[in-house]
Amino acid sequence: MSDANADTASVARERLRAAMMRLAGGDRAALEEIYKATRVKLFGICLRILGDRKEAEDALQDVYINLWQRADRYDPTRASPISWLATFARNRAIDRLRTGKVRGGAVPVEEAAPLPDEAPLADALLIDAENNAQIHTCLGALDGRTQTHIRSAFFDGFTYAELADRADVPLGTMKSWIRRGLQKLRSCLEANA
Amino acid sequence: MSVDEDSRREDALIAGEYALGLLEGEELLAVRGRVANEPAFAAQVAWWEKELANLADGFAGAEPGAHVWERIAAEIGTSEAPPSADVVDLTPRLRRWQWTAALTSAAAAVLAAIMIFGPSTTAPTPAATDTPQIAAAEPLYAQVPIGDTGLRLDVTYVPKSETMVIAAIGLTPDGIHDHELWLVPADGSPLQSLGVVDPGAVHSMPLPKEIARNLGDGVGLLLTVEPLGGKPEGEDAGPVVAEGTFAQV
Repeated sequence: MSDANADTASVARERLRAAMMRLAGGDRAALEEIYKATRVKLFGICLRILGDRKEAEDALQDVYINLWQRADRYDPTRASPISWLATFARNRAIDRLRTGKVRGGAVPVEEAAPLPDEAPLADALLIDAENNAQIHTCLGALDGRTQTHIRSAFFDGFTYAELADRADVPLGTMKSWIRRGLQKLRSCLEANA
Repeated sequence: MSVDEDSRREDALIAGEYALGLLEGEELLAVRGRVANEPAFAAQVAWWEKELANLADGFAGAEPGAHVWERIAAEIGTSEAPPSADVVDLTPRLRRWQWTAALTSAAAAVLAAIMIFGPSTTAPTPAATDTPQIAAAEPLYAQVPIGDTGLRLDVTYVPKSETMVIAAIGLTPDGIHDHELWLVPADGSPLQSLGVVDPGAVHSMPLPKEIARNLGDGVGLLLTVEPLGGKPEGEDAGPVVAEGTFAQV
């Protein structure tokens, strides 16, 4: 990563952090700024998890309205704003998935709309995380099978039961694979913290 | 390995399963309950979420339809007044911002003032009502430094939305006391409680008109130490441990 990219990323991140703080003060313009900078990333998350464009749009709307109503939940000292927003969006999408109506699954290619020019901004916001995060190394150190299942849980929102079903193994087997993986992942992350 | 250590490890695993979204049904409900009620467990979930968030760069972006923003904008309202949905939603988190009797009972407020300033300086006259001090359009900001700990409260008032944001980042609860924040109206009227401070958190809340009209450049803030839950009704306020003054941003 060049210094110029790093600067762009850190400026983008600080702008977003400032907008999040203004949001806590009830500033509507801040919400629009946050939406512009993050919608592509957050919609990508909702779409992947929910596997349905309409559901994902409803989820996205829900994410920003919830953010507006409860902006004080973000602690600017604890997390990078985009990481926090990504977690928030993913959790909301998964909640939606678990409450029943949606089936979820992979998104058909034709559903993926072309990306606008601002798309790189959301990616720039993540540059730091992308390059520095220990989790990539730690996840990569797990055996291939466990890695695949943990990634699939994260990106597709599959439950234990769904993962077991797809891998055609008993539920208990899938649980013990993943739990062992999580145990190793945690040790690795803590050892390198 | 001790039983405690075992259960901590087990909890860390459950927190990881939950953060990944592997659980469903009753198991999910049970763990959700723990997240809401056990701060230590919630912290483990937060740890996993923070680590896992670094994987999020693997999600490909996608452009939502333009109608999504239109619906959001419609929902949050375009008028200057805060939307009523906002106010309704704010209510639950006001639990710890208990408006004390000072708001509705002048007597209690006078007691608090006597306690804080000592009898010699008391003659807090009733508020000169309907004389808003400064109808400032610009936000007001005050720092309330706590001793020489380097810790402080940051208090911001946004007149446009009549919202106050109180950040108590870095503070930790001691489990025995709460800190209560008070507004000192410039006209000498009784102190008004701004509620109990939630350590480590940033809160925003709508301000009642009775308080908002007393806000202005140079208006003071006091922080007192109180029993958990804030100053008990009918009792004196606790000792003042910090103070600050609002200034226009």
